[in-house]
Amino acid sequence: MLELLAQTALNATYAASYIALVAVGLVLIFGVMGVVNFAHGELYMLGAYAVVALYADAGFPFFLAAAVGLIFVGIVGIGMERTLFRPLRDNPLGGLVASIGFLLILQSLASVWFGVRMEHIPPSTQQILRFSDSVSLPVQRLYVIVGAVILLTALWLFLKRSRFGWALRASAQDPEAAALQGISINQTARIAMFIGAGLAGVAGALTAPLVRTFPYMGHSVIVTAFIVIIVGGVGSLEGAVLAAVIYAFVHTFVTTFFDGVIADIVGLSLMLLVLIVKPTGMFGTADRA
Amino acid sequence: MQPDPLSSESALLQIVGASVNYNKVSAVRNLNMKIPHGGIVTIIGANGAGKTTTLRAISGLSKLSGGEIRFDGGRIDNLNPEQVVARGIAHVPEGRRVFPDMTVEENLRTGAFLRRDQEAIESDLSAVFGRFPRLEERRSQLAKTMSGGEQQMLAIGRALMAKPRLLLLDEPSMGLAPVIVEEMGRIVVEISREGVPVVLVEQNAELALGLADYAYVLETGNLVLEGPAKELHENDHVRRAYLGL
Ligand SMILES: Nc1ncnc2c1ncn2[C@@H]1O[C@H](COP(=O)(O)OP(=O)(O)OP(=O)(O)O)[C@@H](O)[C@H]1O
Ligand SMILES: [Mg+2]
Repeated sequence: MLELLAQTALNATYAASYIALVAVGLVLIFGVMGVVNFAHGELYMLGAYAVVALYADAGFPFFLAAAVGLIFVGIVGIGMERTLFRPLRDNPLGGLVASIGFLLILQSLASVWFGVRMEHIPPSTQQILRFSDSVSLPVQRLYVIVGAVILLTALWLFLKRSRFGWALRASAQDPEAAALQGISINQTARIAMFIGAGLAGVAGALTAPLVRTFPYMGHSVIVTAFIVIIVGGVGSLEGAVLAAVIYAFVHTFVTTFFDGVIADIVGLSLMLLVLIVKPTGMFGTADRA
Repeated sequence: MQPDPLSSESALLQIVGASVNYNKVSAVRNLNMKIPHGGIVTIIGANGAGKTTTLRAISGLSKLSGGEIRFDGGRIDNLNPEQVVARGIAHVPEGRRVFPDMTVEENLRTGAFLRRDQEAIESDLSAVFGRFPRLEERRSQLAKTMSGGEQQMLAIGRALMAKPRLLLLDEPSMGLAPVIVEEMGRIVVEISREGVPVVLVEQNAELALGLADYAYVLETGNLVLEGPAKELHENDHVRRAYLGL
């Protein structure tokens, strides 16, 4: 029993890692630009395809492919900012609608380029860390955990220590007051979009050998991310990380001990409970960011 | 060639025939103002007179629908707020607008966002802490946990961190206890004596006319009176409408 608990905790940690990467990006984009990016799941999907194309098909090293996934999807994010969200800056609903349109475009492009079949790619490592007979962690999953810890720590340091990190936080807390300090909202929006999209992309890239890659894979990811950021508080990065951990543990444990459908129901109930008890989320304030 | 009436050397900031509309509704009309290279100029007026709109137009937050604004000889009315800041205009907005989830020190340093002169930034930070000892005591406290008066000090300190050549203050006395208002007044005078010209927007006309050298009176978007602050303080209309005398 203890071993099953330990194994389930490891599985949950893996799930929490990629969910946190996706959710934190979504929160960052919402915080700085006030836009709900519905295409976020498709950015995750693009990152996964970067690994399918570069690592599985073209034979480049896995980590190189994942890094390209991060940067490429980050650049797609910059493009979205410039062409979709900037012209609609004073119209958050318009930004949301535009992101839904973009989501459909990305799905269609992926279907055309890669086909709609599910891609199963070979793992980049067969190694497994064995803690006991029935407790183990595939190194491929460890990569996701370590990647998430490194990237989220780097993001935290960037936001707390660097000049542009402060600018990002200032823009998120009060865009107009930030402009009065000489902070360009175009610039902070571009940085937020690069980081937010890049984190979704790298989450898809790192998990690609562990899941099935297909054009519609973003759906379930974004639904989970939405639940997580509502639980954590829409404007809070720390809240998103903590809520990702809580959600992943609850969901993984319920899946293991009951089943996946019940786990989904419990996850949604968790969200409803938070909305009833504290509508702004565990860490949220009424403001964005 | 005709001499250009706008290139008058005497003013640091000049507003010429400026109008601002919000969604077609006019907020200020045909405004003319001159802000000299030193001292305190106040803009007084009742709620909705257009005082905030005037400051927002200067700092590029609101676009003009007509007229122009010149700073130091160059037009600034077509610039973004961040470009106006770069020219040397710092704006303490109505309601303080400190960054709530950043610490006092982070707020202050954000005021120096465009500066790269690291050593001068450090000494300016010490100077702000010298002027506002409360801020130094609370340097690692989140801005949202500060009192109204402290937040106003923080907003002014943040603006000073930009090393401005012109300081715009929008109702710094709003919502503050009388002692704090008095202290605020002393600080504004001190800042202007140290060489930073100040535009002070106030509803508290008694306070503003006491501090300022020159005053403009706005009523529903129109400039109705202007003159040396002492003279306006004795003006019948001003006494009746704004000083309650
Ligand atoms: N964002 C806005 N949208 C529409 N109308 C606005 C906006 N801001 C101000 N106004 C209108 O413009 C006019 C001038 O407002 P402004 O805020 O400049 O007045 P004010 O003199 O600063 O008043 P107060 O002393 O109350 O701050 C008012 O009629 C106001 O209703
Ligand atoms: Mg006002």
